[in-house]
Amino acid sequence: MRIFLMQRWSAVALLVFLTLHMVVVHYPPGHIDVDRVLERLDDPLWKAIDIAFLVAVLTHALTGAYMVITDVQRFSVYKRALAWAGAVAGVLLFVYGTRTILTF
Amino acid sequence: MATNGSVPTVTIRIQRFNPDADKKPYLQAFQVKAPPGKTILDALHEIKEEQDGSLTFRRSCRHAICGSCAMNVNGRHMLVCDAPLREHVDRHGVLTLRPLAYLPIIKDLVVDRTSFWEQYQRVKPWLIPPENIPEKEFRMSAEEVAALRDAEHCIMCGACYSSCQVIALTKQYIGPHALLKAFLRVLDPRDSAPAERLADLDRGDGVYRCHTIFNCIDACPKGLNPTEAIETLRKLVIKRGAFEAARAERQRRLDQPIEVVGEAPALSGGE
Repeated sequence: MRIFLMQRWSAVALLVFLTLHMVVVHYPPGHIDVDRVLERLDDPLWKAIDIAFLVAVLTHALTGAYMVITDVQRFSVYKRALAWAGAVAGVLLFVYGTRTILTF
Repeated sequence: MATNGSVPTVTIRIQRFNPDADKKPYLQAFQVKAPPGKTILDALHEIKEEQDGSLTFRRSCRHAICGSCAMNVNGRHMLVCDAPLREHVDRHGVLTLRPLAYLPIIKDLVVDRTSFWEQYQRVKPWLIPPENIPEKEFRMSAEEVAALRDAEHCIMCGACYSSCQVIALTKQYIGPHALLKAFLRVLDPRDSAPAERLADLDRGDGVYRCHTIFNCIDACPKGLNPTEAIETLRKLVIKRGAFEAARAERQRRLDQPIEVVGEAPALSGGE
């Protein structure tokens, strides 16, 4: 249940974050140039939003991969190891992504 | 369809497999006449009696109620005793019969249903009555009975189980057939162990293993909706404590006249 709920809640969060991401990054209203992009990347509020987006993406992707892999009977015996591998990968990717966000 | 006089002749391609002689399954074609009203099961009987006595398949009631003759017809699962032959041949007058998918083949169209029945047993599909059994009868509201009606119509043919993509990957998953029966018992106000049942369904191979692909709905020859039952069970697993308390309260009134019971989760579909 925990994995299932994590995936569903992260999916709902992704709906919000992806919409925001598409509007702000790909279809920004008005003029856009590098100065405005750097200004946004430097804003603490945007850093928090980007980190939350990163958490939602990692949660959704890793729980989804875990569910799909453990669907296969021969892999399901390694559930615990897969869960740990997913958690470690999640932490590493979170650190890597957060450092990238905080660079600006 | 080729016509022989006024009665057309159709080709039935049947997947054959004899584990003692064959390395892998193969298709064998038979010609049979297809008068109006003849079912696919009638055609199988005709082939077995007149053309090849070694053809093996399961059947019993011939009234679409025992579930024995579920098999794959042109890629879709159905009860062949209830399927008119003429309606299922393609435009070339050919019909292809295979055994239920994802299950080990014993011989020809007969599959090994061991995992199907093991998962059925796992959900304890029998009623566990409360301690205070009323002297005369259990009183249930019309809404409570209606919520269980569709699940009771399941004939355990295995069509949903064999069409489930998760079952293709793992036989540890409970499966739509058993989850529908679990739904039947969990929602039954006479049952006194809903929390235990829901706890079992909460395990890794329980309700959360379903990917909501809906194949079970398409496959069910009785038009039932196992997916909706699974969704209902998922919600009840989350609210297990409150549901158990409500059930205990409900069981204190099982022998009293029905006044207000409230809305019960209902399954759509049905016949």
